[in-house]
Amino acid sequence: MLKIDNLRAEVDGKEILKGLSLDVNAGEVHAIMGPNGAGKSTLGYVLGGRPGYEPTGGSVTFAGEDLLEKSAHERAAAGLFLGFQYPVEIPGISNVQFLREALNAQRRGRGEGPLSGGEFLKLARAQADALGMDHEMLKRPVNVGFSGGEKKRNEMVQMGIIGPKLAILDETDSGLDIDALKAVGEGINRIMRAPDKAVLLITHYQRLLDYVQPDFVHVLAEGRIVRSGGPELAHELEREGYGAVAA
Amino acid sequence: MTILELPSPRLEEWRWADMATLKAAADAEPRDAGIRPADLFLDGDGPRLLFVDGVFEPAHSRPGPVKVARWAPETVHPLGGMAEGEGWVLSLEAEAAVTGIQIVHLGSGGESHVPARIALGEDAVATMVETYAGTGWANRFARFDLARGARLMRSVRLLQADGFVSLRDEAVIGEAASLVSIFLGAGGMGSRIDGALTLTGKGAFAEMGGALLTSGTQKQEAAVAVRHEAIEGTSRQLWRAVAANRSVASLAARVEVARGAQQTDGEQSLRGLLLERAATVNLKPELEIFADDVKCAHGATVGELDARALFYLQSRGIDEARAKALLTHAFVADALGRIGDDAVRAAFEADAARWLEAAL
Ligand SMILES: Nc1ncnc2c1ncn2[C@@H]1O[C@H](COP(=O)(O)OP(=O)(O)O)[C@@H](O)[C@H]1O
Ligand SMILES: [Mg+2]
Repeated sequence: MLKIDNLRAEVDGKEILKGLSLDVNAGEVHAIMGPNGAGKSTLGYVLGGRPGYEPTGGSVTFAGEDLLEKSAHERAAAGLFLGFQYPVEIPGISNVQFLREALNAQRRGRGEGPLSGGEFLKLARAQADALGMDHEMLKRPVNVGFSGGEKKRNEMVQMGIIGPKLAILDETDSGLDIDALKAVGEGINRIMRAPDKAVLLITHYQRLLDYVQPDFVHVLAEGRIVRSGGPELAHELEREGYGAVAA
Repeated sequence: MTILELPSPRLEEWRWADMATLKAAADAEPRDAGIRPADLFLDGDGPRLLFVDGVFEPAHSRPGPVKVARWAPETVHPLGGMAEGEGWVLSLEAEAAVTGIQIVHLGSGGESHVPARIALGEDAVATMVETYAGTGWANRFARFDLARGARLMRSVRLLQADGFVSLRDEAVIGEAASLVSIFLGAGGMGSRIDGALTLTGKGAFAEMGGALLTSGTQKQEAAVAVRHEAIEGTSRQLWRAVAANRSVASLAARVEVARGAQQTDGEQSLRGLLLERAATVNLKPELEIFADDVKCAHGATVGELDARALFYLQSRGIDEARAKALLTHAFVADALGRIGDDAVRAAFEADAARWLEAAL
C-alpha cells in the first residue's frame, strides 16, 4: 500500500530525513518509535504534503501512485489521513461544516456524489458516539477550547467520518488520560483494523501499543529506520531505552 | 463639481481616501450596468425604494411610510455636504415600528447625490437594508436622530462593480436608544464609509462596523468617530478588512469620551487579513478619554492566513483555494454576525462568499 524508498527531506534547508525506507502492506499496523527530534513528525508531514517539508530524494508510492507528486488535498482524496500531534484550532468554522466540506471534497475527487446535510449529520453523530464525544462538540468551532484529550478524540472522529485507507497517526496518544487512551485505541482498531486498510502509528511510548497491537515496530533515529522487528521490540525499547536499542 | 472641492489627501482624516477613483467615477460616461433592479431586493414585504443614478424610481418602489423629498444636508463634512437633491425621509412617531425597509441605489455612471433623514420617536423601531450596485460615484449623506428608547438596525452592502461609493452618517442617539449599522464592502468599487455617532442620552448604544473586502488595485476605507457625551453609554466598532492582490483596505476608528461620560463601555476591534504580500491594510485606532470611570477595550492587528490551519484543512481533502476561502470567511464571520436578522445576515454572507469565490 505504502512504499517509502530511501526518502530524504529538508526543513528550513536542514536535512531531517536521511534515506528512510519502509514498506506497509494492506492489513498491517506499523509502529514507528524514536527519541524526540528523530524526525517522526517530519515523516508524517512529508507524507501529508505540508509546505516547507521538502522531499529532496527517494520516492514514495501510495496505492501504486507517486504520492509526492500530489498536493495535500489530493493525497487525502487518495485515502491518506494524517492525525496531527497538535491538532489546529480554527475559530469561525464549525466541526460539522469543516468535516462535511472535507468529506464531500474527497468524494468529489473520487467521482462520488455529495452527502446531504442529514446523511452527514447521522454519520458524524455515530462516529462521535463511538468515540465518546458529545454531539455539542460537533457544532463548536474546530478544536477551539478543546482539551488535549478532546482534540485527539476529535481527530479520531474525523478519521471515522472520512474512512481513509492509510492512517498516519502522529503521537495520537500524547496528552491522553487512561480513559481517553482506551477510547482512542479502540477507535483506531474499529476504524482501521481491516484487510484493506493500514496504520502507521507514530509514538514515543509503549502504552498505546497495549491497545493497538502493531504487527511491526520500527525505530527511527536521526532521520532513518535503524531497527525493525515485531511487537517485542517495543517492549525492549521500553525496558532499555532508545540509546541502547538504536545503537 | 470641481476637483478643488474634494478633500485633500494632505489632511490627516483623508490620507487614505481614494479621491482619484472617486473623480474618475464622477467623470465616467453612463453605461448600462445590465442589472435588473428586482434582483437587488431581498425577499420581504417591507417598504422598498429604488434610486437610479440618484433619482427615485416609483415603478420599482413601494415606499410606505418613507417619504421622498428634495433638500440639502446641513453638515460641514466635505462629501456629505455635496449630497443634496432628491432624497428620502423616515420619520416615525413614538412606539411605531417599521421593519424590512430596503433602499437600493443603482448607478450607471457619473455622479449621484442622495440625502437621507431618519428620525425615530421614543421607543420606535426600524430595520433597514441598503444596497449599492452598478457603477459611477454614489455620494450619500444620512442623518439619524433617535429619541429615548428608539432602536434602528441597519445593514449596508456595497456591491458596485466599480466606481466609488461615499457614505457619510451623522447620528444623535438619545437615552437608552440604539443604533447599529453594519457594512459590507464586497464589490469592485472604491469606498469611503464615514461616520460620526454621538451618544447624548444616558445608556445609549452605538455600533458601526463590518467587513471591507478588497482586491485588484481597489481601495476601500472606513473612518468612524463615536463620541460619548452621556453616562453609561456603550459603543462597538468591530471591523474586519481583507485585502488581496495589490489592494488597500483602511480602517480608522475613534472613540471620544467626554468629561463626565462615566461608566462608558467602548469596544474597538480592528483586524486586517492580507491575502497577498503586496496588499495593504491600514489600521488607525484612536481613543480620547476625558472621564475616569470608563472601560475601553481596543485591539488592532494585521496578519496573514494561518499556514497551519490552511494545511490542516488541506490534509482533510479541501483544496487550497477553498481552504483559503473558508478561513477568510471565518475571519469576517464575527463582523457579519452582528447583523441580527437571519435572512439579511445570510444574504450578506452569500455576497461575501461570492467575493471570495472570485478573489481566491
Ligand atoms: N518547522 C520546523 N522548522 C525547523 N526545524 C524543524 C521544524 N520541524 C522540525 N524541525 C526539526 O526537525 C527535527 C525533527 O523534528 P520532528 O520531526 O518534530 O521530530 P520528532 O517528531 O521525532 O520529535 C528536529 O531537529 C526539529 O528541530
Ligand atoms: Mg513529533
